[in-house]
Amino acid sequence: MQDYTLDEYFDRYPIAMAYVPWQHLTRIYENLEEAFHVGTIFPELNKPFTGRRVIK
Amino acid sequence: MMNTSEQNRMLKDISIIDFTLVDLNEYLDTHPYDKQAMEYFNHYARIKNQMMRDFSARYYPLTADLSTDTRQWNWVLSPMPWENISQEGGCN
Amino acid sequence: MWSYEKRLQFPVNIKEPNAKLAQVIISQYGGPDGEMGASMRYLSQRYATPYREVAGLLTDIGTEELAHLEMVATIVHQLTRNLSMEEIEKSGFAPYYTDHTIGIWPQAAGGIPFNACEFQSKGDVITDLFEDMAAEQKARTTYDNILRLIKEPDVCEPIKFLREREIVHFQRFGEALRITQDNLNGKNFYAFNPGFDTVEGDGNCSPKCGCQQK
Repeated sequence: MQDYTLDEYFDRYPIAMAYVPWQHLTRIYENLEEAFHVGTIFPELNKPFTGRRVIK
Repeated sequence: MMNTSEQNRMLKDISIIDFTLVDLNEYLDTHPYDKQAMEYFNHYARIKNQMMRDFSARYYPLTADLSTDTRQWNWVLSPMPWENISQEGGCN
Repeated sequence: MWSYEKRLQFPVNIKEPNAKLAQVIISQYGGPDGEMGASMRYLSQRYATPYREVAGLLTDIGTEELAHLEMVATIVHQLTRNLSMEEIEKSGFAPYYTDHTIGIWPQAAGGIPFNACEFQSKGDVITDLFEDMAAEQKARTTYDNILRLIKEPDVCEPIKFLREREIVHFQRFGEALRITQDNLNGKNFYAFNPGFDTVEGDGNCSPKCGCQQK
């Protein structure tokens, strides 16, 4: 589960609008070559695709 | 004409550093007062500029204004990025 | 203005031709959720944005998408440049080949040519940013779909890179929207178009033209 304990209380934000949480410069990959192959220098933005089609 | 593996390695290193700058640049566009990010950016920008000059002096200019050619205009004579002279590739 | 660096943002070294894959990937060149649309969308929208962070971000991401356009074209070029006539006929590539040989031409996978209907530039910064966030998700989904079709590592590496960039761009456009919201009155974000209207005081339109609301 995502960390919802950041100090952004979205349930108090005005309705009829959408909000994306702020990214804070928490960590950068130490190995920049690894970051290059991942596609970002920020590990928390690394969201790989692992889906596969299954017919039940 | 095959690239040397040293040439490939240098180009890859430039790509890695430049990519770091691109990701930091976009981060800074929405976090314009983040001093730590700016420090990282300035540090890697210096490295990239030096690497660009070194590569362009040894092999061929990566931007036209880095050309120092006097005998042949390598900006146009060097390989285009979509020809794959290098034999690197695939999943690492 | 633009400068060109003579290298790809991420390497593309494909050894095996594959006309079927090329027909699918060309959609990311000139298709509705492709890189040409993305680049033109962001570079067009930036003029009407009233906030520098947002205009700057649209410029920088729009520029990066041009580099992605170049990567996609390179993938298609390398998948098609060594095709035999037999492979062209058997793979279903013959219609494209008839009109373009193995040249690169911006179209969707189904053949619809690239056109400006594939993006919107609405002139309202909130609206444009939602368009941009949606565009990045659509591109990400297209890359998900492509990844299911690919077994070749040479092709999947640059595709995975391009897909991850869409996710990062989505986060940036989301942050640009937060910046836009911070510049407006949360009681009513839609009271006026900050790039077009001027309004006085607390956001109520008044007959006197006041300073543009900050």
